[in-house]
Amino acid sequence: MSIALAPTGALSRPAGDALAAQRRTMLAFLVWGFSALMIGAAIGPLQALNYGGINVYPALAPVLQTYYQGLTIHGVLNAYIFTFFVTCGLLIYLPARELGLAPNMLLWRSCFGLMAAGTLMLLYAMFDNSSSVLWTFYPPLKGSPFFYFGMTLVVLGSLLPLPILLDMRARWKARRPGEVTPLVTYMSTTTMLMWGLAGGGAAIELIVQLDPWSAGLVDTIDPIVGRTLFWWTGHPIVYFWLMPAYVSWYGLLSKQCGGKLVSDPMARLTFALLLVFSLPVGSHHQFTDPGFSPVWRGILTALTLSVALPSLITAFTIGLSLEYSGRLAGGRGVLGWFTALPWRNPSVAAQVLAMVTFIFGGAGGIVNGSWELNNIVHNTTWIPGHFHITVGTASALTFMGVAFWMMPHLTGRKLLSRRLALVAAWLWFGGMSVFALGMHWAGLHGVPRRAWVSFLPQTVYDRFYGDAHFPLTMVAVGGIVLWLATFCFYVVFLGSLFTRRLSTPVPIPFAQAFGGAESYSLDGGEPIGIVAHRHLSPLAKALEQLGLITAFTAVATAAAYVPIFWPFVNNITRAQGWSVW
Amino acid sequence: MSDIAGRPGFEDAFHKAAERHERAWVFVTLVMLMGILACTMYFVVYDYGVVVRTAAYRSDPTALGGPAPGVVPAADAGLVKTGPNAYAVHMVAHMWGWTPSPLHIPEGATVTFYVTSIDVLHGFEVKGTTINVTAVPGITGEVTYMFKHAGTLDIICNEYCGIEHQAMLGRIIVDPKPPA
Repeated sequence: MSIALAPTGALSRPAGDALAAQRRTMLAFLVWGFSALMIGAAIGPLQALNYGGINVYPALAPVLQTYYQGLTIHGVLNAYIFTFFVTCGLLIYLPARELGLAPNMLLWRSCFGLMAAGTLMLLYAMFDNSSSVLWTFYPPLKGSPFFYFGMTLVVLGSLLPLPILLDMRARWKARRPGEVTPLVTYMSTTTMLMWGLAGGGAAIELIVQLDPWSAGLVDTIDPIVGRTLFWWTGHPIVYFWLMPAYVSWYGLLSKQCGGKLVSDPMARLTFALLLVFSLPVGSHHQFTDPGFSPVWRGILTALTLSVALPSLITAFTIGLSLEYSGRLAGGRGVLGWFTALPWRNPSVAAQVLAMVTFIFGGAGGIVNGSWELNNIVHNTTWIPGHFHITVGTASALTFMGVAFWMMPHLTGRKLLSRRLALVAAWLWFGGMSVFALGMHWAGLHGVPRRAWVSFLPQTVYDRFYGDAHFPLTMVAVGGIVLWLATFCFYVVFLGSLFTRRLSTPVPIPFAQAFGGAESYSLDGGEPIGIVAHRHLSPLAKALEQLGLITAFTAVATAAAYVPIFWPFVNNITRAQGWSVW
Repeated sequence: MSDIAGRPGFEDAFHKAAERHERAWVFVTLVMLMGILACTMYFVVYDYGVVVRTAAYRSDPTALGGPAPGVVPAADAGLVKTGPNAYAVHMVAHMWGWTPSPLHIPEGATVTFYVTSIDVLHGFEVKGTTINVTAVPGITGEVTYMFKHAGTLDIICNEYCGIEHQAMLGRIIVDPKPPA
């Protein structure tokens, strides 16, 4: 026995060095992403104060000249840079460790390099106030070429994890024929396949329309085509934000709670459904746009409600997995299992609070997708209220929770303060709840999103938005609490780069599924992946056909978009650009 | 419960119950989503006027031109009577205002708005109503709404359009019906 074990131990040492390179790269993704969030989140509360009627921008010049400049930086850094870096790191690092295979480091580092270069170009274009076009950059508002070319690099870089994952999955399957892909790898690959199809819209908009236009090669642009291409990407991007959080909830959280994932096939089904349904529905963001047939709006409504199904399955499966953990920990009664969860673990607390918030986020999303209800809330503060409890909490707070175990795992250093981390999570949850309730409520009064309302004369502000005074005050108060949360989080996050070294390494908390095997590691060491049921589930087996599912999605997406684009390409608009901020 | 949780059979029992409840949950979820779809479609049919239709396209956003044959009134025509209690108006969004504004509408009138923009994207929102139309340069959108009550309504631009976006406000005045 000992003879058999010895070579494994010897082999794992050089592998350990390779792992160090992976850890460093993952840390770079994590630190770059969270640094972007630090800038973005520091600006956010200024916007909340704006809605409360407090105009702080005159005091901030020349760093921030206008509300719209700050809002552009906030949106771009939080929605793209933060999420893309964390996701493109996690969705390579976790599968690599689950499979025990090395990812293609050149591609992975190129992904980082392209996105980092793009980030610097975006920062330059945004901080010199040449591109205050907001994160949606709808033409014919026209920013500087640095903005569009920077954005192009970020989008192209974010697509590189796809070939890395396909390569790792293929190598693994060659070694283990007939087995289903381990769960975390399956979820990560599905997410990147979805994003590979979704990124096409933004890539086409940037490369065909915006880059040549901003460089002066063409004079005019078609606004509705740009807007429609944007939403081709802009809706599925919300799943690109959300699915990595689901990876943590399905793949890791049960272990952190001391339990098991109750259903491995349902996790796979969720991701496959998200891949299929998230793509063709983008134009539901255009329910109020003229130019395409109302019939398609009806179809989009049906498809949009379908995309709620995988999230409702998630609510069940994750909820039940948490209940199992809570019961094992001695929780009794209807809600005892919930209070019995390890709430003193900041990583668990952050993620469970993120889920609780997402229940309301999902409900609001159903309202947004319901065509005529959308007429009431479209482009009011309801919408940013909605996405601050989805991407802004369900995703962001989950990523913070992941950082709480991952920083010690990557650096080998102690988390600066478990207590301060808990404070950060609870403040984020509380601040965002107050903020988002205020935003939703004010939206029902018709308060428009993205408006520098505090710059209006007091009499005009009162006449138009006086009826929303209370909810708008909640927005401002929530913003201030979020400022505190951000401060606490970054003391912990950045402080943990300099704490004392731990004597034992922190493992990745790969969860185990009901009926699943114990270990899946191939590199003779640490990772324990989620393995499908010993009796291969027919569902899991069927869902292994990722190529077919992706092809089907591509066809469905084309079928949804050809009729929408048809009238646009037959009625081209030639609009000139405007730089008006 | 904790003593039950400690027993070796707990995981299996939990798993069996989970699979049963899972099927029920998926069924209830599907029924709920279909119910929501039916409700939202009912509202669309019931209140079809505020669904955005397409009235016209043009290549040059700044060239509003004359009235399109039989449909869209000229940009400077104001409120045009098109039938008993029915009116139409060409609502033009531009940086940073609405034309015509203020717009007088008789109480009880059904008004069709032809909404477009001559420069960047704007959003035509009438506060307190379900009117919500993107003003797209080069495309004219169309919605119909009945103004049942006299009073003043605010027009708000709800799509970011530059530095004065917040001040792109307008007014609709619904004049009371003269006493019969």
